[in-house]
Order: sequence, then C-alpha cells, then structure tokens
Amino acid sequence: MPGEMVSDKPERISYAFVDKGKTYSTVVGLFSEGKLVPLEGPYEPLPDDLIVGIVSEVRFSGYSVDTNSAYAAFLSSREIRERYEMGDAIFARITKTDETRSIELGDAKKLPEGRLVRVSAVKIPRIIGKKNSMVDMIRANTGCEIVAGRNGYVWIIGKGDSNLAEKAVRMIEAQAHTHGLTDRVAAYLKSSKKA
Amino acid sequence: MVNGKRIDGRGVEDVRPMKIVARVLNDAEGSAYIEWGKNKILAGVYGPRECIPRHDQSLYRAVVKCRYNMAPFSGAEEHGRSGPNRRSKELSKVIKEAFENVIISENFPKTEISIFVEVLQSDGGTRCAAVTAAAVALADAGIPMKDLIGAVAVCKIDGQMAVDPGKEEDNFGESDMPIAFSPRTGEVLLFQMDGNLSREELARGLELARNASAKIREVQMEAIRKVYDEPKEDRFLLIG
Repeated sequence: MPGEMVSDKPERISYAFVDKGKTYSTVVGLFSEGKLVPLEGPYEPLPDDLIVGIVSEVRFSGYSVDTNSAYAAFLSSREIRERYEMGDAIFARITKTDETRSIELGDAKKLPEGRLVRVSAVKIPRIIGKKNSMVDMIRANTGCEIVAGRNGYVWIIGKGDSNLAEKAVRMIEAQAHTHGLTDRVAAYLKSSKKA
Repeated sequence: MVNGKRIDGRGVEDVRPMKIVARVLNDAEGSAYIEWGKNKILAGVYGPRECIPRHDQSLYRAVVKCRYNMAPFSGAEEHGRSGPNRRSKELSKVIKEAFENVIISENFPKTEISIFVEVLQSDGGTRCAAVTAAAVALADAGIPMKDLIGAVAVCKIDGQMAVDPGKEEDNFGESDMPIAFSPRTGEVLLFQMDGNLSREELARGLELARNASAKIREVQMEAIRKVYDEPKEDRFLLIG
C-alpha cells in the first residue's frame, strides 16, 4: 500500500521511496525478496521495450504511434522499409527515451489483421509467462498468434478462436496476482474448447 | 448533546459507519465509491494522460486536476442546479492541493492526472469523504503516491469537541474543521475552519481527527485488498 514501510533501511527499490532512512512503498503491490511488484499502474517507457502501437499520424519524416500511455512515440521513416497508414498496428522496439518522455521507435514490423486488447502494462509479464509459456499455451489451444507489447497492448491475430484467446488474456489480467494461474488458464482453455 | 451522546446517538469519538468499494467504474483507470454516514460519493481517476490544454502542462511533472461536483439531487437545499459554483470550485481546489503533496508527479512529465468526484447524496463532510474516496481511487489506478491519505472533520457542539459532524451538527454547531492527514508522517494536507476555536479546543480537535484517520485508513486498505481477494466479473454491479 502507498506509504507502507517495505524496509527500515534506505534501499533502492523500484516503486518505493526513501524518507528519513526508511523505505516506503508508493503503490499497491506485492513485496517479496526485496522486490516490489505493482498490481496496477501506468506504462513507463524504457529503452529496448518491445511494444505494440497503433499508427496515429502519418507525417513527412515518419509516424506518430499511440503507445497506450500519455506519450506518443515517433517512428522515423529512415528506420523502416515498409509504409504504414493511420490505424495500422505495429510491433516495435523503443530505441530512445528521455526525461521529457519523448519515445523513438525502431525495428518496426507491421502486424497483420487482428484485434487489440488493452490490459494493464504491469500485467504483461504474466500474460507472456515464464519463457513465453502462457503465450505458447494460448496459441496452441486457440490457434491464434498473440503479440504482447510491454506497454499493455496485446494484439491477437485471428486465425483461430480469437474470442477464446481474448477471454484468456482478460482472465490472466484479472487474476495476475494469484498463484497457480497457468494451470487454471490451461483448464479453462481445455474446457472451453470442448464446449 | 445529551448525556455525552450526540444527535444520532454517537459519542464524541465515534465516526459514522463507513463503507468503501474500489474499482467500480469500467473506463476510469481507478475508481472508488464511498458511503460515509448518509454521504454517497463516487470518485474516478484518469491518467496520467496528455495534458490538455497544452499551456497547463509542465515539462517537469504531471499536473493534478480535480473536479468536485454535487449532483442536483444530492440533498443540500441550495443545490437546485448542478455545475460549477463558488463552493464546488473551492472544494476542487483544496482536494487538488491535498493530493499534490502525495502524488509523485515527477514520474510523468507533460501529463495530467484528473480526479473526478461526484457527490450523489450529501450529509455533511463531503469534502472529507471525497478525499478519502479519491485516495482509494488513485491507489487503484496505480498512481505512485507517498501515502494513502484520509480526511475527517471535527466540530464543536455544545462546547465540546467531536469528530465527524453530520449535517445538523455542521449547520448548527459552533465550529467545523475539516482536516486531511498523511498517516505516515502525520502531516496536515488540508485544513479549513468555520467558526472559532480556542488553542486547547484546536489541539483536542487535532487529536480526535488523528485517531479517526487511523480508522479511516483501515477501511481504505480493506477496500483495496478486496479488489484483489474477491475480483468481480462486472465492475459496475455494486448490488448483488
């Protein structure tokens, strides 16, 4: 909880702050082994993050990209060989950010037709799972390709049962803080497939 | 005051019954609904998002904005019409300034964080209830804060200090003093006063409010915990 002490020593912990030699949390989160994992929160862009974005503006020298945050990203035409139109979904890597939070993108790739699911950015690691386990499982059970961007946009490429894939993603988002989630999602996907 | 009991049967240190439900709105980043005595208040938080108008934005921090509004049916006689008036502008300002002290706004330059407070039913102490609910909504939104703040009013009735005045005690009491605390440090973030109090009365009032704010924090934490312990399928269904 915000204001709750996580350590009685001054420590550098993300999502925490130090006051008078003690460390306090700034968010609602789970604290274990010196790490504070927030349960909710806005996306804070970092270099090398792989994100899913929507092209929101085509400009002379590049593209403006909606990144599910307060900050639009810029993708220079020099970085890419493809051409995009407004509304295209792309998968790209953040090459540069600065303290005013201007974001530059690179290594962009256009995503084929699909559907966008917006989830909380802090839950993306759960959706991806350990070594992609969760994404692989959804892919195997629904036949849909899943692209999860760090920024909280999940792109579901609909070759299979994309309704089920979306439901699974939403289920993971709602239960991201619980244990044994992989097994429950597996059971859910299996039971829904039969029905 | 009769035999140390107040108009609704409470003692001087008793806070009215309070219930908070967090995460009630689908489209807000964070939200909370509070019932505190007969007050019913809904708070929603949006952002950080692009700050509009641009001339309000800061390169160094997020701008905190607040809109407090009383519904025309919220109960107080003079509120036949909704929309901004002198009172609601004042309350928006004091609530905003209370939260500017705890939100770590440096993390989100060029953005705004908007807090919306709608009073559905009022019964004295709406600004305190609004601060209490908005703090839960901000925590639910995952906006980094130095503390989960709460507010409560104290009043003077029949020469005695009492905590959390209802509408009658507020209107006919001798003095009314809403206070918001940061429970971690004990700092005062909002302080207003109607009427006069002596130094001793003021000190007693602060003590009462401090004790009450610990109880308020418990209710706030319970509301946030419940979001994760008992996740709901449909956020808007408060009933059932």
